Amino acid sequence: MTTLELRNISRVFPGTVALQDFSARWEGGKIHALIGRNGAGKSTLVNILTGALAPTAGTVLLNGNPCTFRSPADARRAGIAAVYQELSLLPDLDVIENVHLGRLPVRKGILPGRIDWKAAERDTRDLLDRLRISLPLHTPVRHLSVAQQQLVEIAKAMGSSPGVLLCDEPTSALSHQEAQCVFALLKTLAIDGALVIYITHRLQEIRSLADTVTALRDGVSNGTIPSSAATPERMVTMMFGEDVRFSRMIDHPPLPSPVLEVRGLTRLPAFSDVSFSLHAGEVIGIAGLMGSGRTELLRTLAGADPPDAGEVVINGRVCVPRSPAQMIRCGMVMTPENRKDHGLLTLMSTRANMTLPSLDRLASHAVTSRRREQQVVARMQQELDIALADPEAPVSALSGGNQQKVVLGKWLATDPRVMLLDEPTRGIDIKAKAQMFQTILRLSRQGIGLLVVSSELEELLLLCHRLLFMQHGRITGSADAGSMRLETLLARCMESS
Amino acid sequence: MSRRPHHFILELVLVALCIALAWIAPGFFSAENALNVLRNISMQGIIALGMTMVIVAGEIDLSVGSAVAFAGCWTAYLTGTFAGVLAWPPAVAVPVAITVAVITGFLLGSFTGFIRMRFRVPSFITTLALMTGLSGAAELITNGFPLTPFPEWYNMLGGGYLAGIPVPALMLLCVFLASSFLMNHTVFGRSVYAVGGNAEAARLSGVPVGRTKTAVLAITAALAAVAGVLQSSEIMSGTATTAKGWELDIIAAVIIGGTSLSGGSGSVRGTMVGVMFLGVIINGMTLLNVNEYWQHVVRGILILTAVLLNRAPATQGTFREAAA
Repeated sequence: MTTLELRNISRVFPGTVALQDFSARWEGGKIHALIGRNGAGKSTLVNILTGALAPTAGTVLLNGNPCTFRSPADARRAGIAAVYQELSLLPDLDVIENVHLGRLPVRKGILPGRIDWKAAERDTRDLLDRLRISLPLHTPVRHLSVAQQQLVEIAKAMGSSPGVLLCDEPTSALSHQEAQCVFALLKTLAIDGALVIYITHRLQEIRSLADTVTALRDGVSNGTIPSSAATPERMVTMMFGEDVRFSRMIDHPPLPSPVLEVRGLTRLPAFSDVSFSLHAGEVIGIAGLMGSGRTELLRTLAGADPPDAGEVVINGRVCVPRSPAQMIRCGMVMTPENRKDHGLLTLMSTRANMTLPSLDRLASHAVTSRRREQQVVARMQQELDIALADPEAPVSALSGGNQQKVVLGKWLATDPRVMLLDEPTRGIDIKAKAQMFQTILRLSRQGIGLLVVSSELEELLLLCHRLLFMQHGRITGSADAGSMRLETLLARCMESS
Repeated sequence: MSRRPHHFILELVLVALCIALAWIAPGFFSAENALNVLRNISMQGIIALGMTMVIVAGEIDLSVGSAVAFAGCWTAYLTGTFAGVLAWPPAVAVPVAITVAVITGFLLGSFTGFIRMRFRVPSFITTLALMTGLSGAAELITNGFPLTPFPEWYNMLGGGYLAGIPVPALMLLCVFLASSFLMNHTVFGRSVYAVGGNAEAARLSGVPVGRTKTAVLAITAALAAVAGVLQSSEIMSGTATTAKGWELDIIAAVIIGGTSLSGGSGSVRGTMVGVMFLGVIINGMTLLNVNEYWQHVVRGILILTAVLLNRAPATQGTFREAAA
C-alpha cells in the first residue's frame, strides 16, 4: 500500500513563509482532504509534491523512501500525478489523443514512427474500464461537458498508474450534481488502492468523500482529523483559528436613494433572474464560490456580455446593458478580476491607461490635452497614493498593488455612480490591501454604490453593509453583514442548496 | 509614445548612411538627387503612413499594391467615360474621377473592416482576397492594355513640382503631418493604440473597437487610392500591372520604422524614417551601380537587422508573487 509522509516541510519565499514545518502521513486506499483559506499554503504544498517547487527544508517520503523531485517529470516518474481546476486538455483532440498526449504508442517495422492508433484505442478502453467510467473516445473533448472533461483529465493523470493523485479543486467549476461523477471516480481510485489528496473550498463535500481532513492555516498544519469528526464548525475553526473576530470597518449608513436596481437579469447558463437594489453609499458583497456566476453577473452589469433578459435602472434611468461604453456613460464601471488581460493595456503608459475611459471628456473637439491628462494622473496619484515614478513609463512596470490603483483611478476619473469590483484585492500586498479597503470606504462615504465580489469572505464582512448569497447562478438570499459571524457565513456559502 | 534612446538608433544610422554615401556615391550629395529620392519614396510613403495605423491597430492590409493599380485604372476608366461618352470637359471629368476613385478605396477599406468585425474574418484574409480581386478588376477595366485618356496637365499631380519640390513629396508631407497629429494628439489616435494593444481591455474601457479598426482600414485604402491617382498621373495612364508587390515594401518600411507587427506600439515618425531609410539605400546602391538583384538581398538583410535593432529592451521577467 502506498504511503506518503511529509516531515517538517518548509518553503520560504522572499518576504513570506508559505509553508512552515508541515508534517503529515497519508495512506493509500483513502481520500485525504486538505483545507485552508486562500493563501494558507495549499498550492505551495501541491507544488512541492509535484516537483514544481523545491522545499526549503524537510523531507518527502514516498513508501518510506526519501525522495527529491527536481521537476514535475521527476515526480510523475515516482508515481505522483496531479489534476488541477484549470483543464489542460487540447480541445480539438479526442479522448484517446488527450489521454496519450506526448506518449502515443508508435509502430515498429519497415516504417517506424507511425502512430499505432489501434494500440492507443485499446489502451484507452482498458484505462476507462479500469476507472469504471465511460466516455466517447472519438469526439473532440470540446464537445464534452465540463464534468466529462474533468474525468478525461483524471484519466490522463491515471494513465501512468500513479500511486498518488493530487486533486487541486477539480470540481470548483462544476455544479453539485456534476461533481458527483468526479467523486465516484475518486472513490473508485481509492478502493483500487490509490492515495488521493483532495483540496477543496467546499466543506460540505468532505464528509461524504474524504476519510481524513487536514487543515492548513498560514502555512502551518492545524492537525488531521477523521472526516467523521469534521463538523462544519470544527473545520472552520481549523481553518481560521479559535477566535475569529474582525473589527468592522464600515460605519456609516447608506443613503436612502437607490442608485442601481437590477430586475430579473439573466444570462444563461451563468446566472438567471437576479434582482436586487443598491443604494447610494452602500457596499454590497456577493458571497458565492467560484463558478456561482458572480463574475459573469458583474460582467453583464458592466456591459461586457449582453444579458438574455432583464434590465437595470441606474440613477432612475432604465436600460439594458449592451456595451461597456454605454454603461460607462450611465456611470457604472467595473474593475475586472483579471487585471492584466482586461483591466489594463500593458503596452501603454500609466497616463494613457488612467485617462482612457475619460479621454473624451478631457479632450476638446477630439483633440487630447496632455495638460488635463497630467492633472488627472496627479489627482489620482495623490488620492489613491500611487507610487509612480514616471507616468509616461509602461504601466506594466508598476507593482500589482499600484496597477490595481491605476485601474481604480481610471474609473474614478469618469465620476462613476456605481462601481463593480471583482476580486479587488487579488494579487496585491497587505499594505495595498489595507489601502484598498480605505478607498472603498471613502468612495462609499462619497455616495458611490459599490458591489464587491471577493473569495476572501472575511473581507466582505469587514467592508460590506449587506451580503447577497449567490449559488449556481441564483441569488439565494441576503443578510446584514453587521450581524453575521464568519462561521455562519462560511457554512452558508459552503452548504449546497 | 515615450521616447527612449533606442528610438533614435534608426535616425542615427540614417544620418551615418547619408554621410557615408555623400563620400562614396557620386552625385548623392546634391539637391537634385535629394528631390529624386523624395519623389521615389513619396507614393509608397503615403501608404506606409496609413499602414502604420493599421498595424498599430492590430490589423494588416495586403491589398494596397493592387489597390494602387486598381485606383489608377479606375480613374483612367472613369475619366475616359466622363470625357468620352458623356463629353464632359476634362477640367470636370478628371476631378470627379479622382474623387470617385478615392471614395471607392475608402469603401473597400470599410468593407474589410466590416467583414473583420461582423464575421471575425482576419483582415489578413480579406485583404489577401482583395489583393487578387483588385488586381483582376484592374485587368478587366483596362482589358489588359494601358488606358490613356488623361489631358496633358494631369501629369502635374504625379510628375510636377511646386516651389521646386515634387508634388507627391508635398502630399507625403501633408499626410505625414495629418497622421502624426491624428495618432499623437487625438482621442482617435489613442483608441488606435488601445485596440491594437489589447482589444478586449480597450472594449471594457469603452473604446469603440469596431469603429476604430474599420476607420484605419478605410483611411489606408483611401490613401492607397490617392497613391494610385498620383502613380497614374506620373505614368499618364491607367496600367493594371503597376505597383506589383508594393504591399511588402510598405510593410517592410513600417517594420523598419519600429512598429510592432503584433500591434499596440509604433509611430508614424518611425515609419517616415523607415521609408527614407529604404529610399536612401536604394538610391545609393543605384548610384553605386550595384546589381539590382543584390539590392533585393540587401533589402532583406536590412529588414531583419532593423527589427533586431528596434526590438524593445527585453521586458524583465515579472516577479511572480508567491503562489500559496
